[in-house]
Amino acid sequence: MKRQFTRRAALLAGLAIATLAGGMAEASAQTIRMWTFLNPAGNAPREKALAEIIANFEKANPGAKVSVEPQVWDQMTPKFLAAAQQGTAPDIVWVITDLLGDAIKSGSLADLNKLFADKWSTERKKDNAGAYWDLCQVDGKQYCMFQSRNYVGLYYRPDLLKEAGIDPDKLTTWPAFIDAAKKLTAKEPAGTVTRYGFGQAWSEAQPDPQIVIPYMLAKQGDLFDAQGRARFATAAGIEGLTLQTEMVTKHEVTPKLVTSWTVDDLYEQFSAGRVAMITGASVRVSTLQARMGKDKVGFMLYPGVDGKPHSPGVMAGWAVGVWSKGKNVDLAGKFVEYMGGAEADKIWVNVGGQTPGLASTPATMPDFIADPANAYLAVAGKGSATAGWLAPIAFSVGGYRQALNKAAQEVVTNGLSPKEALERAERDFNRRNNR
Amino acid sequence: MRSSNVSAYSYIAPAFALLGLVLFAPVFYGGWYSLQDIRYGAPMGFAGFKNFARLLDEPDMGATLLRTFIHTGFSVVITIAIALGLAVWIDHLAPRFAFLVQIIVIVPWIISTVVAALLFRWVFLNDIGLAAWAARALGFGSFQPLTSPAGAMSLLIAISVWKRVGYAVIILLAGLKSIPDDYNEAARIDGANGWQIFRRITLPLLKTPLLLVAIVLTLSNINTVETPLVTTGGGPGDATRILAIDVYERAFVNFDLGGATAMALLMFAGNIILVVAYVRFTKWKA
Repeated sequence: MKRQFTRRAALLAGLAIATLAGGMAEASAQTIRMWTFLNPAGNAPREKALAEIIANFEKANPGAKVSVEPQVWDQMTPKFLAAAQQGTAPDIVWVITDLLGDAIKSGSLADLNKLFADKWSTERKKDNAGAYWDLCQVDGKQYCMFQSRNYVGLYYRPDLLKEAGIDPDKLTTWPAFIDAAKKLTAKEPAGTVTRYGFGQAWSEAQPDPQIVIPYMLAKQGDLFDAQGRARFATAAGIEGLTLQTEMVTKHEVTPKLVTSWTVDDLYEQFSAGRVAMITGASVRVSTLQARMGKDKVGFMLYPGVDGKPHSPGVMAGWAVGVWSKGKNVDLAGKFVEYMGGAEADKIWVNVGGQTPGLASTPATMPDFIADPANAYLAVAGKGSATAGWLAPIAFSVGGYRQALNKAAQEVVTNGLSPKEALERAERDFNRRNNR
Repeated sequence: MRSSNVSAYSYIAPAFALLGLVLFAPVFYGGWYSLQDIRYGAPMGFAGFKNFARLLDEPDMGATLLRTFIHTGFSVVITIAIALGLAVWIDHLAPRFAFLVQIIVIVPWIISTVVAALLFRWVFLNDIGLAAWAARALGFGSFQPLTSPAGAMSLLIAISVWKRVGYAVIILLAGLKSIPDDYNEAARIDGANGWQIFRRITLPLLKTPLLLVAIVLTLSNINTVETPLVTTGGGPGDATRILAIDVYERAFVNFDLGGATAMALLMFAGNIILVVAYVRFTKWKA
């Protein structure tokens, strides 16, 4: 009986020591929490890239652990703002461009200059320079670094365009684009359309910019005035919305059902071969290529107006920042710096299929960039450099895409004129933003 | 007597405290939140009734209320009419077959609302999809309810009826089973026909389950956000933008949390008024 007791005591003591040792090891490890819409356990190219970057970082920094808490992309930023006010925000957050101004103004993001960028060499700073870097700069402070850079343009099926004798490089005017869309629209003898030339997504749920936006940007330069009030019901806006809606009502190259299609529906329809060209974001090309085949997805810039070869596309992306009041600000900064550094940038491009974030990256992987299947990276890069538009951050612009999509719905389903629909969209946007 | 009351209260106090915390604390918190100036997701200062006043200034509020009334009214009336017919029919079936029909009828009720809404959306999303094929086969030509205001609202009402009719059938069937056969027999002996029995005996005795069904259906239709959000997103245009969608969009699209909370509170008050009105109107006695 006594021996049994001694054995039990020894076992318990052993367990206690093991638990204590485990606890101490855990205490010495530093975990940083990150909110992003990417799930490193997922199979999408960007998710695989993030997983690899995290693994590399953890290997190079023993004791550091990056814990990703995947979020719904369009709710992540407001959720972060609320969590920051309540002291429960993650150490790192990916902020959507539309709400970057709000995030900076709220004081929730730390100055990356102090954390690491001040120590950078001139070459390193030059490597990062550009519109995305500048967008994060307010009053000499650097609040974020962009990841998952995005350029919204047009997807097309190279095989179908080739079959129809259409050269995508020559689609530099809207009339030429409409002609191509008509050629690509296929009908059965009974009249049923089996494939539409051009797909769009006008749902208000998680919308991407549709063609009225590049048209307006090409003609009037911006969508808002200096006070942040919408400038939708302008001559350019009316022409742009007319162009967009006539794809359904006049040219019949777009199905009327696009009034309810979301971007995800649109990608599904494109994957299924129901549409030959669609509006789309460059960041999704790699995902669709993985699904459909690399030779089945091409990416081009919007046609231009007034003799210009291209209309500006909306540039977006994810502004990655460090929570200013987090407990692990230094380590979080270290990870953000690594995630935007040369080694990680190659992974983002190679594994994630993303546009390079650093000017030096393409030169380090010439074969990858030269692969015709990866031509979209150069197209998106060209768009960003020559025709891109980044939403202003001086005021919140959340809801502008929804307002313009609703205007298109109103024209096609309720018979409003483009002018009436845009006046309403403008009024709703301004009222909801208290402007 | 008094000490036994104290003991009784002490037994139920923890449960009441928990219920209070779960049910009423959010309402009080919401009330406080609605009076705040909310910026960046957090209260920045007392705003009085500014959030409520802004709602009254909304030019589209009347139209949103009307759409909510149409959606709820048609959904409740059609659901109850179909459920009553089904319940009476099932009540006359042989037990085994009745059980089978009940199982079939209740299935939509137990399916997740989001899954059901997604299924309907997929069916109607494509112009060469299942619904379009069926419509063409039946000679209706092009059938795209999601592209017209009336079609989208009709589709939402149809989904609501499909989803909730099973619940209503079960409650009404339970009510029918509780009516003693003697009443019907006595009426038959007195020469009443089927319709007269239903009109004069069955329907009055179903008042309590009917009231319960009406209240539950009304509240669930007014407060439903999943079905319109997933199926139509409030569109096309504003055609299916009902109150619950408006609250959602204020909170999670425009991030106007103050306005959204104020509106949610007004909806909560409206729900309570509706229940009281129902009970008063039907002079319900438990």
